[in-house]
Amino acid sequence: MAYHSGYGAHGSKHRARAAPDPPPLFDDTSGGYSSQPGGYPAPGADVAFSVNHLLGDPMANVAMAYGSSIASHGKDLVHKELHRFVSVNKLKYFFAVDTAYVAKKLGLLVFPYTHQNWEVQYSRDVPLPPRQDLNAPDLYIPTMAFITYVLLAGMALGIQKRFSPEVLGLCASTALVWVVMEVLALLLGLYLATVRSDLSTFHLLAYSGYKYVGMILSVLTGLLFGSDGYYVALAWTSSALMYFIVRSFRTAALGPDSMGGPVPRQRLQLYLTLGAAAFQPLIIYWLTFHLVR
Amino acid sequence: MLAAMKNRKSILELGIHFDHIRQKTWTVLNPMKPADGSIINETDLTGPILFCIALEATLLLAGKVQFGYVYGMSAIGCLVIHALLNLMSSSGVSYGCVASVLGYCLLPMVILSGCAMFFSLQGTFGTVSSLVIIGWCSLSASKIFIAALHMEGQQLLVAYPCALLYGLFALLTIF
Repeated sequence: MAYHSGYGAHGSKHRARAAPDPPPLFDDTSGGYSSQPGGYPAPGADVAFSVNHLLGDPMANVAMAYGSSIASHGKDLVHKELHRFVSVNKLKYFFAVDTAYVAKKLGLLVFPYTHQNWEVQYSRDVPLPPRQDLNAPDLYIPTMAFITYVLLAGMALGIQKRFSPEVLGLCASTALVWVVMEVLALLLGLYLATVRSDLSTFHLLAYSGYKYVGMILSVLTGLLFGSDGYYVALAWTSSALMYFIVRSFRTAALGPDSMGGPVPRQRLQLYLTLGAAAFQPLIIYWLTFHLVR
Repeated sequence: MLAAMKNRKSILELGIHFDHIRQKTWTVLNPMKPADGSIINETDLTGPILFCIALEATLLLAGKVQFGYVYGMSAIGCLVIHALLNLMSSSGVSYGCVASVLGYCLLPMVILSGCAMFFSLQGTFGTVSSLVIIGWCSLSASKIFIAALHMEGQQLLVAYPCALLYGLFALLTIF
């Protein structure tokens, strides 16, 4: 940013000065106009900005400098608006993953029955990032799974000769809308059922996004082994996901504070967990059965 | 002779360093060689634009006029990978750096679409060779990103979205 404003100022300063102009950096081989100084590029200028001194016209230089300052100003405006809605540091916590974590988490999503300890670990009241704690939710797997699901849906429709870009867009936006509705419903339920919990919006987004892994597996099995394979995979992934959600929510939403809470509230929390779990197979079936005919 | 030297000097003043372009191309073509992080930090779009035009030329020679798709897909793919890398790495990246690396690693895809001119890729051999080429592209891209951004233990995680992007390009080449 400092570079851009410095360059803009330099350009205008250059225009104001009449006499001694800096020596041109190259011999102007185009006859027709006298060699005009084009200004020297600031160190580290990349290609786009160092082309302009070939134009030789100070007006174009000023225009280009103005344009680049407008572009950087626009970029800063976008960043500021984005930072108002989304705290990038909190989001970075969910992407601090490595390959071992992703492999183990995918294994956990498919076969969670032997995992013993479901508690999220803390170090001095700050939850450990996903690299160091297998139970911490992340957003890398849900994002990649969503994109893979959309591409796989496109391929499945292409195989069945039903592909068109509109159908793909419809598929993608339907899935996105269901995720948003599920997250809102969970937020409402948590608000009604608990006083405080450690589950922020991003946590809920992560847990909602894990179902896309199950969806991808079901669709792949359905494409490879036909309708029977699809239903078997659907049953397996649904039950694994239900078990995963129930165990994760019981240790996350029912935090250490709620052991002494009133019984109706605990029952509400239980209903919320069971409701979230029961919703998963329904939505997996709804979003994938039309791809495997 | 003197005019040629003057022209070469003027090209260098533009910021185009041919030896850097050659070095980066060799890094892409040899996926086993570890990458040097420092040369990546220059935002150089000359090589990538060259490779994009080569890809479109080979697609045109194979009978597919799809320039808009190539540009659109590369723009959106660069945007998504730029956002992802900014979130995953401790130091950020600029958009130009991401576009430059992804453009360089498009080179094996140009080789694939060059083969598509001579024989159809819709059989088993075509599927296998396109999978190999997609793997080659994404491994090179992830290797360069890991070296430039000092990310540890995340090579496959960076390679996967790059593989999705290059898979889209391969779909364009095959169908």
